Amino acid sequence: MSAGAGIAAAGPALLVFAYGLATALATGLGALPFAFVRRVSPRAVAFANAVAAGLMLGACFGLAAEGTRYGAWQTIAGANLGVVFILATQRWLGRREVTFGAAGGVEARRMMLIVVVMTVHSFAEGVAVGSAFGGGMELATAITIAIAVHNVPEGLAISAVLRPRGTSLAACAGWSVFSSLPQPLMAVPAFLFVEAFRPALPWGLGFAAGAMVFMVLVELLPEAYEDAPRPAIGLVATLTLVAMLLFQRYL
Amino acid sequence: MDLIPDDPTLTVLAYSALSAAAAALGAVLLAAFGRGGRRELPTAWSGWANALAAGMMFAAAYLLAESGLAGPPLPAALGAALGALFIFTTHAALGIARPPRARGRRADPSGGRKAVVISALHSACEGVAIGVAMAVDLRFGIFLALAIAVHNVPEATVLCGVLTGRGMRLPAATALAVAADATQVLGAVAAFALASAAPAALPWVQGFAVGALINLVLIELLPDSYREAGHTSIALVASVAMGIVVLLRGLAP
Repeated sequence: MSAGAGIAAAGPALLVFAYGLATALATGLGALPFAFVRRVSPRAVAFANAVAAGLMLGACFGLAAEGTRYGAWQTIAGANLGVVFILATQRWLGRREVTFGAAGGVEARRMMLIVVVMTVHSFAEGVAVGSAFGGGMELATAITIAIAVHNVPEGLAISAVLRPRGTSLAACAGWSVFSSLPQPLMAVPAFLFVEAFRPALPWGLGFAAGAMVFMVLVELLPEAYEDAPRPAIGLVATLTLVAMLLFQRYL
Repeated sequence: MDLIPDDPTLTVLAYSALSAAAAALGAVLLAAFGRGGRRELPTAWSGWANALAAGMMFAAAYLLAESGLAGPPLPAALGAALGALFIFTTHAALGIARPPRARGRRADPSGGRKAVVISALHSACEGVAIGVAMAVDLRFGIFLALAIAVHNVPEATVLCGVLTGRGMRLPAATALAVAADATQVLGAVAAFALASAAPAALPWVQGFAVGALINLVLIELLPDSYREAGHTSIALVASVAMGIVVLLRGLAP
């Protein structure tokens, strides 16, 4: 698609943005289950970490499968960049005093990291949504609903890390929505310039998958193993992963 | 030389046996790098070996799940839940929920037997993965068998280290490690026969293998390795191993 045709599509572009924004708001719904949870023990935090790990690993399976369809080595190269990105972010956060709401130290670093990871992965998803819209506007509603519903467990993963560490429910929902804001922002240019963006797609999807796998391996799982019996952690994470895969298949 | 025998069952047998035999290489590594009279593996190395095995196994689960994308999702998901529950309950029933520590003078004496039982169960599940992959597509099955073969090497190194650390001689430990991995052949042939005879069972068995493999990684391989080496190095080794397997699959014919 040429730039001229892209400008002609400014009307639909606004629609893409509005749809993208709706999917971002849906992410906030992920905080909802935590309205019903009051006291949070270290054991509960461990299980929340296991749930977040399962959701993120399940999401990675989807991202990797999607990415390798566009290009296998680009996806893997992107995944390596994602791992390096998390390592660099960890170092950077480690060198300064971070606070996140009432939390500080290691806790705050972990909270910051999951928000950063989920936000960065939304960039890739935004590009995926925008490119998909390019396939025909009649599919737009179906895709939007699919992405919106798919965002809810992502909000759940974020809230599962933030809420047990003292973040308020509203702030959990707020950060969840924030993490999805790159979706409408990236969907519009990706929709307007599909041809230019498509080669970047496997890189972006791989980047997101690598960053998420690494985040799970380096932060969520080791912490989960410390405060709960590991067969139970393994079972919860595996079943969550399977549920996430099933969920993605039906949408 | 043709690497695929005419008879598919023979292919399953040959490649799952090859994969089990790879355990012997793990003993060679232990002989080369183990320290002291008891051939003990340095703690961090044991962690990295486990992380390497975990990453490859996780990649195998991913590839298996991806190969089932065309199939019906619900039976596969139910199969996966069954696989995870199977590992959970057998571990609890056999009293092997907590794998024995690799070293220490006060290591519990039944630890060696425990480690062999764990390894046999673990390998049987990997065999199911190989067998069902062969039923999906022979070439994919061969790729998966070779990946599991490589994965068996560091795993056998750790197992032999547990056994020699308790006073067993290396040749005996090697024989036990290979024997424990031989359950892979049984699992592979059984899964292949079932999935070929009853195509309706294929997504169930496929899901079962995925759920079992992921749960094994999360219960057996990762927790110990975090204790033996730093979080960052473990995560790096596991994710790079995962990436290499997925990449090789993408490049394979």
